Amino acid sequence: MTTAYAKHEHHEFLAAANEALHNANLQLALSQLGDTLGQRNKAAFAALECSAELRERARAIKNATLASLDEHLATLADAVERRGGQVHFAADAEDACRIVTQIAREENVRRVVKSKSMTTEEIHLNPALEKAGIEVVETDLGEYIIQLAQQRPSHLVAPAIHMRIKEIAETLSRAAGHPLPEEPTELTAFARRALREKFATADMGITGANFAVAETGTIVVVSNEGNARLTTTLPRVHVAIVGMEKVIPKLAHLPVFLKILARAATGQKLSVYTSIISGPRRGGELDGPEKFHLVLLDNGRSRILGSPLRESLFCIRCGACLNACPVYRNIGGHAYGGVYAGPIGAVLTPLYDGLVANEHLPHASSLCGACQAACPVKIQIPQMLIQLREALHETPERHGRLERLAYRFWAASLRSGRRYRIGSWLASRTLGLAFRQQRWLKTLPGKLAGWTDERDFPAPAPRRFRDWWKKEGQA
Amino acid sequence: MNRDTFLQQVRHAVLRGNAFQVATRDLPPSTGYVGVAGDYMDRMAREVAEVGGIPHRCEHLTAAREVLAELLRKHKPKSALSWEHPLLDELGLADVLNQAGITLLSYSSLASLPVQERRARILAADIGITSADYAIAETGTLAVCARPGQERVASLLPPVYISVIRRDQVSPDLFDLFERLDAAGLDRLPSNVTLITGPSKTGDIELYLTTGVHGPGTWHVILID
Repeated sequence: MTTAYAKHEHHEFLAAANEALHNANLQLALSQLGDTLGQRNKAAFAALECSAELRERARAIKNATLASLDEHLATLADAVERRGGQVHFAADAEDACRIVTQIAREENVRRVVKSKSMTTEEIHLNPALEKAGIEVVETDLGEYIIQLAQQRPSHLVAPAIHMRIKEIAETLSRAAGHPLPEEPTELTAFARRALREKFATADMGITGANFAVAETGTIVVVSNEGNARLTTTLPRVHVAIVGMEKVIPKLAHLPVFLKILARAATGQKLSVYTSIISGPRRGGELDGPEKFHLVLLDNGRSRILGSPLRESLFCIRCGACLNACPVYRNIGGHAYGGVYAGPIGAVLTPLYDGLVANEHLPHASSLCGACQAACPVKIQIPQMLIQLREALHETPERHGRLERLAYRFWAASLRSGRRYRIGSWLASRTLGLAFRQQRWLKTLPGKLAGWTDERDFPAPAPRRFRDWWKKEGQA
Repeated sequence: MNRDTFLQQVRHAVLRGNAFQVATRDLPPSTGYVGVAGDYMDRMAREVAEVGGIPHRCEHLTAAREVLAELLRKHKPKSALSWEHPLLDELGLADVLNQAGITLLSYSSLASLPVQERRARILAADIGITSADYAIAETGTLAVCARPGQERVASLLPPVYISVIRRDQVSPDLFDLFERLDAAGLDRLPSNVTLITGPSKTGDIELYLTTGVHGPGTWHVILID
């Protein structure tokens, strides 16, 4: 199976994270995230009656769906065909790009408009289409901006969150051919005009899907801007590229997910537009695409489905864990290196792109649990990160002999009461006494300096608790 | 990859993965049904305002016609892209537009045009007017179904959008909408059902809220009791 999922140029997480921490513009851009989107998520769930049960129900639907995913996919494919659509099965990114390029060629497509889709980022669809001589235009405002700036999205729902308005104004001014003011309303108005022209002349619209309803052959696309609606209304061909875990069995399941998705993402009760699309336009209708293609994508998902990290497939890509995460809020999305950033990215990127190549990502978390608390389907992200850390530990090329020896020593001293007592006595009599005034170690030798470069190390107490307790505790 | 190989591969993964299922609670399908305490229309109007729309409460059709005429005087459109819908007929939409000298673009006037000409007219429309198939009070949402006479573009392309709905179209909760779609027969689900909850919005520039980025920036909802 493929590893092309999140393949990116060689990426050094530690260096990138360090650079991000010292990037003043990025720090300012990120500073609002927790107070705005993060707080809105909490407030929205607090205001919804029975939200804990609703999230539990969503989780149960995802779990049950995955338990017979193949059957639901077959039902979905049959239903799409019954409604006049065509279904394609893509094993990996290359397969998916080939299928979409093929459709574009057959349909004589010269210009494609896209609404925001992480799945197409994942398969690197844009370069594939451009190589075939097709113009690709991103239409979500944030995606449009970063496409013009030749960058990658840094957040699941706010792709240009890392940019400040000055840089955005410069980027859009270049596209306009004249200077635009640093004013959100004016910049947005320019994008509306520029993109309307693209919409009006595009031959094909490409979207992902937030959900795919098996029984009705329906795909559901949610947006606030309306670009997903334009993408699925004006061009004559609509292609939806959908990760196979997005399927839900019944239309009646949809409100369960719609009720939690927008609340988790932005604190809205519902996003402005929810498009519930079942096949191409029907007889007599004046608008909507004449042809509809659904591309179902595996690209490593079946490997994950059969693994202990199966639960990561519950993810509905709302971005709530990013907004909640103290690490993401400090380093932004690009530092993670993969297509998916934040806590869920720290799980997904190693799974798709290889664990050893991304060895730092499972450690890019304090395991504080804010991600799981914010997650609308309560994915146990911290636990999965620990599992990945364990898997790394099993990887022979990862660990130095010294580190292995140190851990073995540590484990041995914790395993017997006698050894623990001797060890703690030794520590208190040596380091404890030596640092009884300072209480903190400012520098540690050798590789241990990695800890004290960023923070102090607490010195052992000069007198152990057990000694104090024996003398004075029982008095 | 062909369908059978793909699904076979998924099947194998499903069987392996079933050992890693998570524990879940069995909850009834109605879990999360909130409903609305008090009057649906009050709540609908409040929620529409909350998401950035402009609600206009009207006791009867005559009052609604007045409000519509007033809105048209205010926005001064040259052409209006409109649905063909019984409620709009009852409202006398064609007459109101005619009296104001506004060109009506509807199914009957658009269907016979060549495609390019039709495209040019709808893109140039200044205002969109529709009713809705359903409305949801809890969230201030309209559900619009695509069918001949109910074009998708009417609620999408023009910068100003007016929706006209009546009390009997309003349900309390999002769950009710899907129950109604289910009851109408799943094989009769329209090619497109769009839920609309507010004017077009974006926060993509430093999380600053801007309306009208792609769809209508102004959304009037005329609510008829």
